[in-house]
Amino acid sequence: MKIKINILIAFIALVIFSSCEKEYTPAKPEGGPKYVVEGYIEAGDNPFPPYIILTKTFDFYGTLNPEQFTGSFVHDADVRVSDGTDEVVFKEICFSDLTPELRKEVAAQFGFDADSLAIDYCVYLDVLSQLHPQQDKSYDLTIVTEGHTITATTYIPDQIPLDSLHFEAPPGKPNDTLAQLRCHLSDPAGVRNFYRYFGSTNGGPLKTAFSSVTEDLFFDGKSFEFQLYNPATTNRDVEPNEFGLYIVGDTATIKWCTMDEAHFDFWNTLEFSNSNQGPFSSYTRLKSNIHGGLGIWGGYNVSYYTRKVAY
Amino acid sequence: MASKAFSTLLMRHTLLRYLLTCVCFSIIILAHGQTNHTLSGYVKDKESGETLIGANIHLEEDLANGTVTNTYGFYSITLPRGVHRFVFSYLGYQSFTKEISLDTNTTLNVDLISGIEMREVVVSAKEDQQDENVQSTSMGRVNLPTEQIKVLPALLGEIDILKTIQLLPGVSSAGEGSAGFYVRGGGADQNLVLLDEAVVYNSGHFLGFFSVFNADAIKNTTLIKGGIPASYGGRLSSVLDIQMKEGNNQHFEAEGGIGLISSRLTFEGPIIKEKASFLISARRTYGFDLAQPLISKTDFAGTNYFFYDLNTKINYQFSQKDRIYLSGYFGRDVLTLAQRERDLQFKLPYGNATATLRWNHLFNDKLFFNLATIYNDYQFRAAFDQDEFHFDVFSGVRDVGVKFDFDYFPSTQHQIKTGFQGTYHRLTPNIVTGSAGETDFVSSAKPKFGNEFALYVQDDWKLNDWLRINLGLRGTLFQQTGPYTSKITGKVYSSGEVVKTYNSLEPRIFINTTVGSNSSLKGGVTSTTQYLHLVSNSSSTLPADVWVPSSEIVKPQRGWQYAAGYFQNFQNNAYEASVEAYYKSLHDQIDYRESFVDNSVDQVEDEFVFGEGKAYGLELFVRKNKGDLNGWIGYTLSRTERTFPDIENGRVFPATYDRTHDLTFVSNYNINPRLTAGLVFIYATGRTFTPLERLYIISGNLQTDYGPRNSQRLEPYHRMDISLTWTPRGSATKRFKSSWVFSVYNVYNRKNTFFTYTDYNTDLQMGEATIKAYKVSIFPILPSVTWNFKWQ
Repeated sequence: MKIKINILIAFIALVIFSSCEKEYTPAKPEGGPKYVVEGYIEAGDNPFPPYIILTKTFDFYGTLNPEQFTGSFVHDADVRVSDGTDEVVFKEICFSDLTPELRKEVAAQFGFDADSLAIDYCVYLDVLSQLHPQQDKSYDLTIVTEGHTITATTYIPDQIPLDSLHFEAPPGKPNDTLAQLRCHLSDPAGVRNFYRYFGSTNGGPLKTAFSSVTEDLFFDGKSFEFQLYNPATTNRDVEPNEFGLYIVGDTATIKWCTMDEAHFDFWNTLEFSNSNQGPFSSYTRLKSNIHGGLGIWGGYNVSYYTRKVAY
Repeated sequence: MASKAFSTLLMRHTLLRYLLTCVCFSIIILAHGQTNHTLSGYVKDKESGETLIGANIHLEEDLANGTVTNTYGFYSITLPRGVHRFVFSYLGYQSFTKEISLDTNTTLNVDLISGIEMREVVVSAKEDQQDENVQSTSMGRVNLPTEQIKVLPALLGEIDILKTIQLLPGVSSAGEGSAGFYVRGGGADQNLVLLDEAVVYNSGHFLGFFSVFNADAIKNTTLIKGGIPASYGGRLSSVLDIQMKEGNNQHFEAEGGIGLISSRLTFEGPIIKEKASFLISARRTYGFDLAQPLISKTDFAGTNYFFYDLNTKINYQFSQKDRIYLSGYFGRDVLTLAQRERDLQFKLPYGNATATLRWNHLFNDKLFFNLATIYNDYQFRAAFDQDEFHFDVFSGVRDVGVKFDFDYFPSTQHQIKTGFQGTYHRLTPNIVTGSAGETDFVSSAKPKFGNEFALYVQDDWKLNDWLRINLGLRGTLFQQTGPYTSKITGKVYSSGEVVKTYNSLEPRIFINTTVGSNSSLKGGVTSTTQYLHLVSNSSSTLPADVWVPSSEIVKPQRGWQYAAGYFQNFQNNAYEASVEAYYKSLHDQIDYRESFVDNSVDQVEDEFVFGEGKAYGLELFVRKNKGDLNGWIGYTLSRTERTFPDIENGRVFPATYDRTHDLTFVSNYNINPRLTAGLVFIYATGRTFTPLERLYIISGNLQTDYGPRNSQRLEPYHRMDISLTWTPRGSATKRFKSSWVFSVYNVYNRKNTFFTYTDYNTDLQMGEATIKAYKVSIFPILPSVTWNFKWQ
């Protein structure tokens, strides 16, 4: 729904002028590492259990190896999530702590192949499933580590499911091997709603497209149909005429989420920042809801849809 | 509420009373000048009949006793009865001297002859000239005749007025190859760009790489970066006043050129000889048109890009005292992207249109009157279509205005100017409409409206042989008007109803003290207020950036500039030199809040933060005006800072366009009557940028944590360009002349960084990531050739 006209124009300018690019080594960055939180809490259909990944920033350029990645995880932190009534302590679990069977299962959830995973991935989990996330509730996160306190709050809004999904032939030249996914949404009027979607094909890990979030500023209260891109075909290696399309015969899964404004702002600024490099662009600082660090503590209300790609 | 309305009314009345008093006072104190006699008239180019702006008229025996022609070529000089020898001179023209027995008021229209007939370009003065640089009270003011601009090297052979003014001290470029400019630490929106008195809101084609001003249609360009006279207002930093040619009133002529980027064609001639003339000038690019046979065979058939300009002007002198001018400009950039296989089309047209109708009237030989009605319109549109989905963004500015100016020349001691200006603004923010099947969408943004009024008076007062003062006062008033719904109170305002009123009194004082036969000390204070704003989130302004008016949310920007300088001419005015220091304080400056996301749907005012700015610097300028070798050297040492409470907790940071050192060397050399060489060298401190400080992983990908805003710099920028203008033997006949301009941009192929970016490649599965940083430069060594012709 969003149009980034300046970026588009800048890109065209770059294509038209034969540019010359040269790799260089920037000045050594200043400042020490910061804590980074990436945590999610979901309500809705088949929600993923809440988890928090706690890492530190990297402060150098060049290459990163498995040891550096593994070393970036912050261990033994005191991580708690409260729903205002109950407070649950999250326990740190690393892949190396798991049995091979469990490791395989968990790795698959994160989109990894457990057998060749080179880093020891660590997350903080509600291992006893004490927390039962619900819509229309706020969840406070408190982390204490190395004498440093990090806090954040997220809210899980009401679920706004898609009315329907179907596939149809892509626009333009007839093509019977490609399909576009059409969705119908009825946005509730009078309140700001924030949406995000993930997609996967044939049971693969859920991924996001280059622009996965939107708010209803432009379509508040409307009931309408729109195209949802296939995240797998929105990267730069894809042929232009296949952009965002599905392959007939595949099975597509869509995870459709609502979230609060702060959570939306984080992804909105992140996606804008990633696409806003280039001529004329300036930097975009990510808008985080984490106090005492970087990252996101985000609540989702999720709906899942699985469809065979056919029309 | 009532007391507020009363105080506003009171302030307005006080303002009006003050200005009227100034006008009356000025007229009364000058009444004694009537015992003298006046010489007045127009100074024109003999060959074309074009009026000459800024031509000097002075007594042969007393260089300091003189005047200059105004924007319309009119002069008036009042002296004691007696016989005087007057010298009329203009850069690039042969001077004209005439002895006149001034025992009554006398009208004398003077036609000056261009320096050398056969040469395509004449840039040097051949005769003595008045040392205007030293004598006048004006500071930070540079006049650039188009002929001088035409011999300088140009990017891809496209002569560009805006790129030439970037070569002056105190003016910096918005980026490599850009026609955008910043003046003395001011923002890009703080320059008042006027084409025949109409404001041009976006002066760039193709992302600002080329300016909208077709040099063939332009007569004169004046940049005022320091002492902005009270007759100008509405912007904080500078005035770029561009006048179009009027059209040859002696004979028909055609002029044009064929270049790598565009071709130009201009027709001009008399409608009634010496009474009425016309000019029509067009320019268009054609690179993509030539590529259409290739593009049409691909999936991108229909993709095209071009820009064009059309300048027209007619004038009619219906008596010795009355003349009307009607001038217009229309320009567009048109980009079309098409992908046939997916039924996709993206169209992006944008551009300016201006129209000015002026009436010049001489009430008497001392009182010149100009009345102008002005219309200008900038429109930007982006439309995306695919199948049943349609998306359209529109923004723009439309002004309708009227202004009048009186130029009163009571004596050689005084030149008084007073006038009024009123403009009705309609500013359309991004209005987004769309449709998906049968469902229509429209964003909530609505156009905003405003009335802007200004009343001014100024007197260039020569107190004695060594002291000259220019006193000016400009009173301005801005009203945000309805239809509008207040975001603060929710009140609904009807059409024309006043929502918010701002006003300002802007004193302008400039003093010139002569300290030697060819030198002077000058000082000045300029107060300016700006009611319309454009904030860009990019390193340069882009066509999609939106102008917004002052409103209940956005306050006017206000600025004060203090400047002092030493001016000296050498060797019979062959060389002019100056050292100017300035300090600017800028208030209610506007920027986007941190974490701003440009998504076209949001109202940009909601994303603004407000702060303060300051800029200070020292400018050195040495210019050689005479002889076969001429040109200038300019150097600026400066600092430009901004601070916003909502950006990094008010940390003071250098502006994106802060340049510590900026050196330019510009030279023309007339090798022989058929060959002119040009050279430009630029060196500037690297542009500031916000460095990447840390990296972190989110959702399996590396993300960037940035350091303090603008805390690092790119490497210094430098470049040399050369040109050779060759008039082949036999190509210059009586009626047809042609010349070739060979230009080389970036002679030594300097890889100046245009922008930097980082590329991340993350594979969490393998626990590996590579981070690479790249510098991108866009213009390597670029030779070009342009063929110019003139038929008459």
